[in-house]
Amino acid sequence: MRRSLYLLASLLLLCMLMLSTASMGAEEATGEVLKIGSPNVIKSASILGDSNMGVFAHLSNPTLMKMAADGTIKGLTAGSSEVSDDGKTWKFSIKDNLYWSDGEKLTPVDVQFTFNYLAENYPAAGWMKNTVDNISIQEDGTLVFSLNKPYSRLNLEFATYPILAKHIWESIDDPMEYTNEGENVGFGPFYIASTDLGAGVIYFKKNPYWKGTAPKFDSIEIHTFANMDVLSLALEKGDVDAYYKYAGTYPYSSIDKLKETGNFEFVEKDNIGLIFLGMNLMKEPMSDLSFRKAISYAINYSEILKLDALGYGKVPNAGFVPPSMMNFKETAKLEYNLTQAKGILDGAGYKDTNGNGILEGKDGKEIKLTFLTRTDYQRPTELMVDYLKAVGIDSEIKNVDSSTWIKQKDAGEYDLTITRSTPWGMLMHANWGTGYFDSRRTGEGVLHVLDDAKFHQLCDDILAATSEDQLKDYAYEVQDYYAENLPAIPLYWNLVETPYNKAFQGWYSDPLYGIFNVDSFLSVEKTQ
Amino acid sequence: MSLTGRKAARYFIAIFLIITFNFAIPRSMPGDPLTNLLGEDVILSDSSVQELRSKMGLDKPLWQQYIEYWQSILRLDLGYSFHLHKPVSILLQDRMKWTLLLAGPALILGSALGAILGARAGWRSGSRREKVHTGILLAVYCTPPYFLSLISLYLFSFQLGLFPLKGLYSTGSAADIAHHLLLPAVMMTLFTLSRNYMIMRGSVLQEKSSLYAAFARAKGLYDEQILFRHIFRNALLPIITLLALDFGFILSGALFIEIVFSMNGMGSLIYDALLSRDYPVLQGSFLIITIMVVSANLLADLLYSRLDPRVKWE
Amino acid sequence: MTDFCERLNEWKGNRLMPMIISKSGWLGLAFFSSFLLMAALSPVLAPYDPWYRFEPYLPPDELHLLGTNDLGQDILSELIFGSRASVIVGFGAALMSTAIGTAAGLVSGYFRGMADEIIMGITDIFLMIPQIPLIIVLAAFLRPSLWLVALLMGCLWWTSTARVVRSKALQIRETGYVQANRSLGFSSLHIMLSDVLPNITHVVMPKFLLSIASAMIAEASISFLGLGDPTMKSWGMMINFAFSRGGFLNGLWWWYMAPGLCITLFVLSVVLLGSMLEERESVSLRLQ
Repeated sequence: MRRSLYLLASLLLLCMLMLSTASMGAEEATGEVLKIGSPNVIKSASILGDSNMGVFAHLSNPTLMKMAADGTIKGLTAGSSEVSDDGKTWKFSIKDNLYWSDGEKLTPVDVQFTFNYLAENYPAAGWMKNTVDNISIQEDGTLVFSLNKPYSRLNLEFATYPILAKHIWESIDDPMEYTNEGENVGFGPFYIASTDLGAGVIYFKKNPYWKGTAPKFDSIEIHTFANMDVLSLALEKGDVDAYYKYAGTYPYSSIDKLKETGNFEFVEKDNIGLIFLGMNLMKEPMSDLSFRKAISYAINYSEILKLDALGYGKVPNAGFVPPSMMNFKETAKLEYNLTQAKGILDGAGYKDTNGNGILEGKDGKEIKLTFLTRTDYQRPTELMVDYLKAVGIDSEIKNVDSSTWIKQKDAGEYDLTITRSTPWGMLMHANWGTGYFDSRRTGEGVLHVLDDAKFHQLCDDILAATSEDQLKDYAYEVQDYYAENLPAIPLYWNLVETPYNKAFQGWYSDPLYGIFNVDSFLSVEKTQ
Repeated sequence: MSLTGRKAARYFIAIFLIITFNFAIPRSMPGDPLTNLLGEDVILSDSSVQELRSKMGLDKPLWQQYIEYWQSILRLDLGYSFHLHKPVSILLQDRMKWTLLLAGPALILGSALGAILGARAGWRSGSRREKVHTGILLAVYCTPPYFLSLISLYLFSFQLGLFPLKGLYSTGSAADIAHHLLLPAVMMTLFTLSRNYMIMRGSVLQEKSSLYAAFARAKGLYDEQILFRHIFRNALLPIITLLALDFGFILSGALFIEIVFSMNGMGSLIYDALLSRDYPVLQGSFLIITIMVVSANLLADLLYSRLDPRVKWE
Repeated sequence: MTDFCERLNEWKGNRLMPMIISKSGWLGLAFFSSFLLMAALSPVLAPYDPWYRFEPYLPPDELHLLGTNDLGQDILSELIFGSRASVIVGFGAALMSTAIGTAAGLVSGYFRGMADEIIMGITDIFLMIPQIPLIIVLAAFLRPSLWLVALLMGCLWWTSTARVVRSKALQIRETGYVQANRSLGFSSLHIMLSDVLPNITHVVMPKFLLSIASAMIAEASISFLGLGDPTMKSWGMMINFAFSRGGFLNGLWWWYMAPGLCITLFVLSVVLLGSMLEERESVSLRLQ
């Protein structure tokens, strides 16, 4: 009996060894392949229905406009764009050398179709129905958008929607539910050849009809990993050549390990999103400006920067908006000053009458705040609770999952929370983070707690602005408003670190999509 | 009421209540399928969002949703997932086949080995070798599954390069799939083995001091014969129970292994559905698990009497 | 060492019924009591306040025997305080589930008939209640403290113990001595407690011990998913942060091995204790 068990065990071991060698040479490398590893897992092969798939699809279905590295909006599928003086008419010229991977030429009709189609069927583009009256094509092929009100950010919005082929999509009734794991026709330098959900790979092949700068690779593979540690291991081992996370950085704690190998370089950019302390402005005492000011002095910014971002960033200004955003204004830097914090609280009427170290609010009751936290932010929350305790504010941590967080913050059932803004989140609504605070907007990650007429007016003004100078003035006003009123307190401005194998050079990063943009894939090449 | 009638009634009532729970529990968590679906730039009061809401059936009153839920179950229609953009039945088929492929052999092998090794350990309890085995297997059982899996991944796939780092397959051939699944399967087998080992050992320890075993020895039978011809069958009962219980949960229980090895099985399907409040997927998966567990238990009940003649199917 | 054990045994043997405690049994007892002591005397034993922050990611040195974590908290102190969480959750959940499960299984297996059907029906239903959604609901509406988690686990896990106990009770019910007692007219409760119960301890004991193991690992899993109790140090949370904050990838093995080993050792100690009890039984009913 025992002997047969040992026999079985050794047979198994033998099988293991055989199998491990068997599959070694199973890779069919046809031409130069670039492999990108990403933690943005694709749940379904739907360009419009899956947000991660949508980001990757920008390579096969580029957007109309793009955000350049300096934050300005330039044409991508469009050659140029211009807006009328009253801000109600936008004109886009479409490039003439773009071809779909099935040989058809991309025409302005495709673009016109795309925007009408998306407005009808894509919730994120639903705003167009209230803003765009008509899309027409001039004789020279220029696309004309007639709006019913001045809208300064139309070209910015168009940096996010993929252009779809009319001859493919006009027969698809429900694009949100449409999945295609096979070939997706695209007009970018690459098109999606297939999506393998089981293996977690998206295969891009070179678009045979691409007339622009020739890319240096024949195919690109996006490998998604559910486990970040495994992704780091794969990067180190060389299973993937670079890393990409939409609106995210490579984990700071894993950077040193890559640096040690000497094989990696990093694209380092300032993030335009940031992590901040959100406060429920509809409730006492957060509605009290002095209270908020006091909190802003109670946070040990350099410590949070050191512990949560491992130093990859800097202490923020009260103006909230990071310097990497257009029209940044240098407002007062946030300062850590415990005595100042305590002094403000005392002066505002929060005193500790029973000597137990916890302040009482204006209603005489001890201040005990509900700190709603998501699993990703447990550590910064722990630090915040500690800082608040030091000035006599007691808080209770409520650790919930993402959906619960959304539901409870929408219902206002919290006092404090730590959350972050994504790059697009900063740009949406009236730009400069307004989308997070305007109480007239409700969306998943936004706080919608600022119910101030002055702020609302400012947002409306920005949306209706008709010149760059106007926008600049308004941008300055917004940042001054943030600095004076502190609707939220930024915790730190961070750097986005994107590692890549040294052998691959020529990456181009934009603030919105990082290294995942068409220009990047046209310029990157294997140099070793 | 006759015996079969009673048993049938019990199972039917249980199923009815379970299906009701299936409906109630996902809805008791804060949020609904729309909460996490659309992203931060979509205004929730938009008309297109309202349309989506009614397509999902979320705008109807709760009792109406409940009735429609029952109707769809009786029609064998598991619904549609708006998060994964596929009918739930297709999703379940897809994921279940991988989970079965991974967990099936692991469960069977682990239970068999665990039963055999555990029986021998119980029989020879007190010997040095048995103590060592028990110690090692207990250590395995005590280690959090995520922990052990990650370490083995690091060792075998990264350092030694013997296995791939993630996914169910790279090229899709049978050898390739086996290559990807081997390490996770070994992990699962280990965990099942250790658990069954401990139970079996305890059970045999009990049985070996019984009269019929003494009688068998008095008859002059050798150790192995006593063990496997007589004691084993009786000591096996708790294992059967466990197998029946496990059978339903292999579908959801491999969650951590799926996360570590980046595999799309039932475990991660259910977990993602939980986090995104994907009601149809949750309801469908729980239903399948229910059916499997209930039928496994029924089978176990039948097996009891066959294995141990002392238990009458009364 | 053997001397000592023998003398201890003699002393014990003179006072109670003849009992031989093996070396492994003493080892188990030693570990077990040290963990309990650790939990009870955490403030005294820990070198620092586990919440106090020093320099982060320090390797072990003479000031910090196990180094510091990502926030700069002393890992050894965290470890010592973490024993409390494991004791609470492990024992709380195991005791609750075993108590409920044994009672239910006994009644069900002994009485059969209607009671059996009802109880088994209830187990079928309870088996289906998934753990994680309930924890999410808990977390949403209450604070997910460790006590609640232990309670929750206890309430959900009694079913497997019940089924196993029931299967054994079914067997024992038909044995000669039980039949004899029944015909003699002893009350069912008496028979259950004096005849059936002692004979199922061999099955219940491993279930109890394994429940402790499962409870602690389940707590570690819940903490890993991020749904744990953030106000209390626990070994599960330590492992969670060790993995998610760069401990694993950077080879800071002391950070995750220490709590992992503690979980393993704690459970090992409980099992060694359990095997000691088993041997004691088998001595009196020895076969070989």
